[in-house]
Formats: sequence, structure tokens, C-alpha cells
Amino acid sequence: MNANTPAPIPTAEGDLQGAMFALPQAKDGCVARLVTIFGSLDASRKRRVHYVFDVGAEHYREMMFPVEGSVRSIALKLPAASWYERELHDQYGVEIAGYPNLRPLIFHENWPDGVYPMVDAVEGVPWSNRQYHFLEVQGEGIGEVAVGPVHAGIIEPGHFRFSVVGDTVLHLELRHFYTHKGTEKLFEGSFVNAGTMIAESVSGDNCFAHAVAYSQAVENACRVDAPPRASAIRLIGLEFERLVCHISDVGGLCTDVGFSVGAASATRIKESLLQASSRCCGTRYWRGIAVPGGLRFDLDSRKILEFSQAVSVAARQFSDLAQLILNTPSIQNRFETAGILPRDMARDLAVVGPVARASGIDLDVRRDHPYGHYDSVQFEVPVTHYGDVMARARIRIEEAATSARLIQETANALPSGSVLVPLELLGELHGSSAVESPRGELYYWLEGHDERLTRCHIKSPSFQNWPAMPFAVADNIIADFPLINKSFNLSYSGCDR
Amino acid sequence: MIFEVIERSLRQPNRVIPVKALLGNCDGSRMPEVIVAQLTPAIAQRLVEVCPTAAFRIEEHDRRPRLRLSYGECIGCGRCFEPSKGGVVAAKSFYWCGHAKDRLVRVWDLDSRTEITPLPAEPKVARGQIHSLLGRALNIRQLDAGSCNGCEAEISALTNPYYDLERFGIHFVASPKHADMLLVTGPVTRNMADAVKTTYEAVPSPKLVVAVGACGCSGGIFAGSHAVVGAVDAVIPVDGYIPGCPPTPAMLITGILEVLRRRIAK
Repeated sequence: MNANTPAPIPTAEGDLQGAMFALPQAKDGCVARLVTIFGSLDASRKRRVHYVFDVGAEHYREMMFPVEGSVRSIALKLPAASWYERELHDQYGVEIAGYPNLRPLIFHENWPDGVYPMVDAVEGVPWSNRQYHFLEVQGEGIGEVAVGPVHAGIIEPGHFRFSVVGDTVLHLELRHFYTHKGTEKLFEGSFVNAGTMIAESVSGDNCFAHAVAYSQAVENACRVDAPPRASAIRLIGLEFERLVCHISDVGGLCTDVGFSVGAASATRIKESLLQASSRCCGTRYWRGIAVPGGLRFDLDSRKILEFSQAVSVAARQFSDLAQLILNTPSIQNRFETAGILPRDMARDLAVVGPVARASGIDLDVRRDHPYGHYDSVQFEVPVTHYGDVMARARIRIEEAATSARLIQETANALPSGSVLVPLELLGELHGSSAVESPRGELYYWLEGHDERLTRCHIKSPSFQNWPAMPFAVADNIIADFPLINKSFNLSYSGCDR
Repeated sequence: MIFEVIERSLRQPNRVIPVKALLGNCDGSRMPEVIVAQLTPAIAQRLVEVCPTAAFRIEEHDRRPRLRLSYGECIGCGRCFEPSKGGVVAAKSFYWCGHAKDRLVRVWDLDSRTEITPLPAEPKVARGQIHSLLGRALNIRQLDAGSCNGCEAEISALTNPYYDLERFGIHFVASPKHADMLLVTGPVTRNMADAVKTTYEAVPSPKLVVAVGACGCSGGIFAGSHAVVGAVDAVIPVDGYIPGCPPTPAMLITGILEVLRRRIAK
């Protein structure tokens, strides 16, 4: 059985209209980690709200409530819920009682008030001209710096509004969702098998993690597991993606402190991996390989071995490079103590992935909720408590080495057999799955009927981590912002969807 | 310390891929090539059924059926390869980069099994030509109008030691005001439409606009979404198109040089 099989959904477990429902607790007695909040419609198109928590057990705890009128905000008790509640309101028009300043999140000035795309018709929505007010920090000598949405490099769009005193950032307000493409709505009515391609286009550099998470959610709905060979090859793809992403990030950090040798070397190592991947499976980023039920086609075992040799060469070169970077005094000077995200803040905001592990939160879906081939491999999850740029860089460097080792071990003992099981997609479908993507926990939840999806929700690690970034930036000088931002390495498209 | 760094750099072999090996190369993109001899009406019908973005269509012309392939809509998923029984394979080389929109479409007559649209010339740029194409430098401003970041990853790769875009005198610049060319990725989202127009206006004339990727060329998988306005040319005028999901660095270089070649030939 898939490790992420959800418990049966309790209906009307608490009264959301009235008092706050009891937030689930983890084993340590603290409020459990929030995974996601999202809305859906039942068969008679009545709105429902879903809350998913990680209570430290094998499976996530999912709670579903039908909505009449409004739901009570939990954001004041659990800040991690803040963006989810605003998104819930934007998508479904669910009133969030008690939420301070419930302003639009995913829609900008151009979207008219009162149009909720997940419940209303969305053809020919008129262009509007609403107002948006940034938080104004007042006081003597406080200035504002506006950056974006179009940035200076080859990066995605987003807006940052800094309130500064001299060089020091007092407050940073994010305004994102410029790349919002209505992806969750696109899943509606789409064939289950076509959904993979939408999932692959959520976050381009993490496309394989999205494809696997989506496929696993469908497999979970059908109560089948992908064949062992497919799971093993998926592990290779997932770890490859992590390796490429971490190498690229460490190179990006070098760029942002002007260490060109490190930056150029990292792009060289990354490119050698992408070319090896192209030789092995015909695509540089493992697009179009994972599908519900396994893989679209088998990969040649000999080619996988060659691929794993290329990975081992690249990993050795990267480990050398990492030593050079970590031992360079000017880099230590810039990385250390820059952009500290304290552990309690990371915990309140339910931060995931390398950012969480760099702030002392011991969390990794691969180990805590193993899926696919991960229960047959051994690995350590690096955790450190400093929470600064250096900590995030070190976590990535250690994880890259682990990824390379896992690829080798799996490639050397690749199971044989088929790579695709047929799925029975008729009838009701209801499934979910979590995957540790390079940026952290990625969770797919879907519902469907007779081969077609009725709802697919994506909890992306970037959506979870973006709200934490401004807290790491505050009290730093504005010149360190690109470096701190890069050390979080969050996807705009993955967040905006 | 610094000597160690310099020594490491010098020890690295030269990895630059020669221009000859780049132009027309599409390894890793899985763009489809139709083998016309294998094409039957039944196979053509199958292609239309499996294509998730309707890049393959069957049209009637003078009561003769024709197969139409629009590379602008193709996301290179490769789902057409297997059911085509050899009628469609991954292309070994690909010349449809940097052309006008109508040149992204190929049409085959299914009765006579012949291609009706002319093939583009093999992209060839000799060393001297590169200089005459560019004269001085070409400054590119990359603009993400709502992409998934896949195209950005490949565009960033252009500056790595394998592709080394700077050898052609092509640079990426930080401001549209310094740019000769806008390289626009993604479907244009509602939330980016204004910023795309403002950025276009900020580029001094004469300016070139290149739409990159399936989304930039046609809206791709996001065409028709309520949060998306459409392809890049729905918002600003476009001079050339580079298909692919995402286009590989070699396809991007082929496309950028082709747009320049066409501009100078005008």
C-alpha cells in the first residue's frame, strides 16, 4: 500500500462556524505542522474546506468541513495558514471570519471583486482597476524601495517593497502571483492522464518532482503502487533533479557575492549533468517520463549506468568546488550571519525543505513519509540550527552528495520487470501524495470521476516558504537581499501556479 | 588562496561547443519529425488523437486530407512517437527556430504522402557572417511573462562554458533600456500583461522581440486559462518564434541568430 494513503475523511468533525476547531497536536504537544488548506466542491457544487496536518504519524491527517457562510480564521493561532486562507477566499469566495486585512492574494488590480474562479464561470471576466495598498512603514528617515515585477536578471517576476532606514531593511512586503496561470482550474475536467503535463508545467526546474507527486496521487486514488523498477528509476530522477537544483543554487550564491570562478564552475557541472540526462532518457529535465502507473517507457539499464557514472564524476567535481567555496574567507564573510531565519519563526510559518533544515527543523518527506523506492535506501537528513545563508548553503552541499550516492546505489541494483501498471480510472477517484522536491515538501491532492479530474490542489514548497523570506531579510542591509533570496531559492511559478 | 583559484580555472579544459555543432541541434528537446513514407491516414488520425496540445490537426484542402503540425503548439512530450509506428520520431536536427509564425507550421498531403510546406534552409553561419550579422554587440533583455521557469533555466544555460553566448558578442543586460532584443518566455498572464507592455515600450527602437517556448509561441498548455491573456503576440508584436518545451540552449542560439539573419536580409 502506498505510504501516503489518507485516513478516511472525517466529515463535520468540528464546528468551524462557531468556535475555533481544536488544532491537531503533534507528538511533542505543540500544534501539528500545517501542510495545506484548500477548498473544493462536492457533487452538488457546495463548497468544502480541507485542512491537512502532519501530526508526526505515518499518514497526514486530513479534515474536511462543508462550508455554510464563513469559516473562522486559524491564521492568528497558526501564521502558516495565512496565505492559504487568502487563497481560499480568492478561489472560492469563502469568507474567513476574524482574518485581519483579508486582501486579494492571487489576483491583482485587474481582477474584479466578487468573481471566484473555482465556483463561478470564468469566460470573459472583465478587466478591473482595483486598488492595492502596501503596508506603509512610517517614521523619520524611512524610505521605500520598489523592486519588480521585472527583475534585472534571467529570473521570474515578482514585486518586493522594502521599507528602509539607510541601508537597513525594516520591513519587506512581497507582492507575488504575477505568474499566476490558473493551473488548479486547468486540472478541472482534464483527463487524468493529461494532468501529468499540467503538473510538469507548474515549476519548470522541479518538473519531475511535480510529475511524480501527481502520478503517486493518482496511484493512491487507484490503490496501486508503481512497479519496483519504475519506483527505482523515479528515485534516480528525483535525486538527479535535487542534485542539479542544489548545484545551481550554490553557483547562484557565488554569482551574488561576485565569486565568478565558483559560479562558472557550477554552471559547467550542471550542464554536464543535463547533457548526461539527455543521453540517458532523451530529455534534459526528465519531462514526459513519469506517468500515473509508473513510467511512459523503460530506460536502458546500460544507459542508466553510464548516467550514474556521469553523476559520480559531477558529484566529485562539485564536492571539490564546495570545499573551495566554503574555505574562501570573503565568502564566509558574506554567507555567515546573513539572513537568519530563527527556528521559532520557521516553525510558526511551517517552513519546509532545505530552508527548514537549515533553521533546525528536522523534516524530510523521504524519511518521515517514505514513498516509492525510498523505504529501501538509507540516508541521513542534515540539519543545522544557524539559519543563515551559510547554513542553507551547507545543507544543499551535503544533500547533493547524498543524492549522488543514492543515484549510484539505485542504478547499481536496479530491479527488473515492467515499468507501467494499468490503472482502473472509472468510478470515484480520491487520492493524495507528498514528495520531497528539491525545495521541500510537495503535496498533491486530487479528486476525479470516470477518468476525469474534478479537483487537483497543489501545495508547493515555495508557496509555504515565501512568507518566511521577509523575516530573514529584515535587519539586513538591502544589498544582501539578492543573496538571501537566492539562499531560499524559491520558485515564483511554483508559488503562483 | 587566490592562486589556487586561478590555477583551478586554468586547469579546466576548453568546453565550448563549436557553432557548427550547435546550429540546428535539438538533442534533448524531443521535437517531432514526421517520416512521410510511413504516414497513412490512420496514423495521422492517431496522431491527432494522442496530441495533448492539438499541435497535430487534419485539414481538408480541395477535398484532399492534409496533416498539419504546428511546432508552436508542440510541447515535445513525445506521446506521438509510439502510436505512430515509425511515422513520427524525435528529430535529429531542427531548423524551425527564429522564423515567423506561419513558418512554424508544416503540412503534408496524406494522399500523395508529400510535404507541401517548403523546408527552411539549414542554418549555417560562418565565422565572418556572425560578425557581419551583429556588427557590434547584441544586447538581450530576458522577460518572463509568466513562464514555469523551464525556459529561464535553459536561457541561463546560454552563459555557461559550453554555449558561451558572449563569444558571439551577445550579452544579457539588466534593463530593457539597454536592450536591442526582448527574449520573452511564458504565456502572458493577466497579472503580467501591463508589465510586458511597459517593458516593450522601454526598449529603444529598432527593437526585436523573440517569443520563446511553446507557451510564448501559442500559450502552450496554459492556452485558454482564465488567468492567461495568451501567447506573447497577443500583447506585443513578435519578430521570431523559438518553439520547444523548453527549447534547448542550442535551439535558442539557432533561433536568436536566425532572427538576426532575417532582420539583416530585410
